[in-house]
Amino acid sequence: MQNNPQQTARVGLFFLLGVALIWVAFETLSDGKVFKDKGYTIIAGFDNVRELKLGDEVRMAGVKVGSVEETRLTGRRAEAVLRIAPGVIIPNDANATILSAGLLGTNYIGVDLGTPGAPPLLAGAEIKTKITADINTIMAQLGDLGTKLDNALGSIGDAMKGKDGKPGLFQRLDTLLADNGGNITETMKNLKEVSGKLNSGEGTLGKLINDPKLHDELLAAVTDIKSAANNAKGFMTDAQAIVDQVKSGQGTLGTLIYNDEAGQNIKVVTKNLRDISDKLAKGEGTLGKLINDDVLYRDAQGTLKKVDRMVEGLADQGPISAVGVVANSLF
Amino acid sequence: MTSDSSTRSPFSEAQTPAVSVNIEGLSKNFGDLVVLRDITLKVESGEIFVLMGPSGSGKSVLLKHIVGLEQPTAGRVLVDNRDATDPATREQVRMALVFQAGALFNSLSVYDNLALYPRENRLASEDGIQEKVMRALQILSLEGKAQKFPSELSGGMKKRVAIARALVMEPQLMMYDEPTSELDPIMSATISEIIATLKDEYHVTTIVVSHDRDLALNIADRVGILMGGKLAAIAPPAELRASTDPRIQDFLNPRIDLKNPRFKHLET
Amino acid sequence: MKQLTNICAGIGSAVLLLGKSIGHAPTLLRQWPRFIEQCYLIGYTTLPIVAILSFFIGSVLALQAGYSMQSFGAKEFIGSLVGLSMARELGPVMVAILVAGRVGSAITAELASMKVYQEIDALETMNIPPSRILVLPRLAAVLVMMPVLTIIGDLVGWLGGAIVSKYTPFIALEPEKYFETLRRFMKFKDVLNGLEKAEVFGFFVVLVCCSIGLETRGGPREIGASVTRAVVVSLILILVLDYFVTKILI
Repeated sequence: MQNNPQQTARVGLFFLLGVALIWVAFETLSDGKVFKDKGYTIIAGFDNVRELKLGDEVRMAGVKVGSVEETRLTGRRAEAVLRIAPGVIIPNDANATILSAGLLGTNYIGVDLGTPGAPPLLAGAEIKTKITADINTIMAQLGDLGTKLDNALGSIGDAMKGKDGKPGLFQRLDTLLADNGGNITETMKNLKEVSGKLNSGEGTLGKLINDPKLHDELLAAVTDIKSAANNAKGFMTDAQAIVDQVKSGQGTLGTLIYNDEAGQNIKVVTKNLRDISDKLAKGEGTLGKLINDDVLYRDAQGTLKKVDRMVEGLADQGPISAVGVVANSLF
Repeated sequence: MTSDSSTRSPFSEAQTPAVSVNIEGLSKNFGDLVVLRDITLKVESGEIFVLMGPSGSGKSVLLKHIVGLEQPTAGRVLVDNRDATDPATREQVRMALVFQAGALFNSLSVYDNLALYPRENRLASEDGIQEKVMRALQILSLEGKAQKFPSELSGGMKKRVAIARALVMEPQLMMYDEPTSELDPIMSATISEIIATLKDEYHVTTIVVSHDRDLALNIADRVGILMGGKLAAIAPPAELRASTDPRIQDFLNPRIDLKNPRFKHLET
Repeated sequence: MKQLTNICAGIGSAVLLLGKSIGHAPTLLRQWPRFIEQCYLIGYTTLPIVAILSFFIGSVLALQAGYSMQSFGAKEFIGSLVGLSMARELGPVMVAILVAGRVGSAITAELASMKVYQEIDALETMNIPPSRILVLPRLAAVLVMMPVLTIIGDLVGWLGGAIVSKYTPFIALEPEKYFETLRRFMKFKDVLNGLEKAEVFGFFVVLVCCSIGLETRGGPREIGASVTRAVVVSLILILVLDYFVTKILI
């Protein structure tokens, strides 16, 4: 029993085609791993390599110069081993940062140009790294900013109202009046009495002059007047002191009003707040849009959910998940 | 030329002892259906034994037991004193079964059909195989058909190719399942002649399952009649003709009686 | 209860057949022409339908993905989606289904008719086990041909996706970009996983189809019934195996 030679040839050809295609797929998808010794590797240490994956690009000033060969944990820091294409020179003062290329968490390592004339990094050397905020950090900082604003506004309120047992501005004024109330009233009463006696002409001036008792009394009255005047003077001094205090920038209000820098800050903060709220109100900026545009907001939420599922799906790369991804994205 | 006790090969002068078949208390059920009931018979070496019986009486099933294609429910079948269900028996005793419809391999040419057995069991070189196959075809006057495919052959030719294929196995025990069914009377007679000739020339023990009276009464050494799964009679043809048993007489010489047709009395 | 017994009997006969066939493995070299013939029938003749089907599956995947992804600007990921789906899941499963439908049914029909017309019995009486000359070459052939068919299916599917992505107005994704994301999110392991799956599917489809064919009892009418059963069982088996093999491979 012999096969017809054409059939054998076809089977052979077919088989070779299959082997060739598997080889092509291997070559293409293993990202040149067959020739993995091309170029040189450098090491970049980070606190956190985030979404950085095997095969992610390394770009220098935006141009692809290599790829991430490995990510690993050494001690208390994460290291990414970068394979740099041969012929690409990276100065040793260049900084590497993890940047994200898209919303879906595709990251790449950006390397800046460094300074001209700096000695090049050698194979195996470590490149300097810079931390850049990723989207999570930015979100966290936005949250922080909110808290700080809240605190600042609270402080202003506290300055007005008083806090922790320390009197506020209004309370201080109040206390001033209350404490000196007796003196002031007495002085006023004495003055009234003197002027009343003068008015009624009792003993008039002669009496005043001739009657030593009266003289004594007058003297005492003058003394009283003097002391009342002194009291009044004291009050004025106190008031002056407060004003001086405020003027010299002591106390919260003083600071607020007379400290130029602080004032400027407040102005800027206020302006910023106003700008932000204006913008928010007008619906400018992403956040504003998110807040003002309900549809957009829902869209964004839906998208984020989808993206989330997709990322999960891609992350575990299961065929069933892949089908899930397909299904999710289809329906 | 050949002694009574040995089978001669169609292809050489080699002689092997003819084999006998012993069936002892054989019963077979398919589920609740009883096909064979306590059959005991002995086929002597070198004889032609024809097993007759109405359709559905269990003749083919009995044959399948002898080649080991079926397991007995009770009793046993001994071929050359070896248990037929043991796979080793088939290697030690060369048995050939000619199937009712020929059972030729439709995907293979006539030549390849005949060559399959020696090739697969590596019994001869390709040259030796060719010699054997052409000889077997020659014995059955089929030389011109070697390159034909089974679908191109007539019914009688298929039967002859099947017999030739059995012959290539140089059998010690040759079995035919309904070799003359679906054939015209002339072709039936031809097949009967072939069976008898092969037995005469090669002294091969032969078991034929058939309900062909002419075949049975002309070439058989002994005839067994199976009815309803039981052996009704075993006797040489002459004795059988003289039998007074009405069932046997009716089976051998059925009269067509239009006044009192049999189908009116058949059990339902 | 009878159904359950039948299923167990079916599994049992398939396992026994597998054992017997493996036992005959050393004779494979002797059966080289038969093996080549089966390779031709299983592999070569199935190629056109595999290519056509894979092309359109890749195309539709790209189209659907593009349609739903354009709303959030992620259409450059079509490449990776089509690539991964084809390589890990749709490629092997589709090829296995085609093999079940085109090759498996033919195997069952052939063996069932051989059984019904007593050719199998004839082989037995000739001391030629059917598992050796009928089953073993087919199992060996399917093992060799499945990866070839699957990798062709994968690549043709990717190509279909790329073409659709380029020429569909609302996607308009350049092939370079398509293949770049495909490469970025895929590893050779993904393709290899698919090939392994295809291997398992193909092997069991052929085994089951052989087993059902050889277990056929009765007359010519049973041939048709056996073919139907073989295809249905194969399809169920592919999807059930898919789950478990995927779980093992992940």
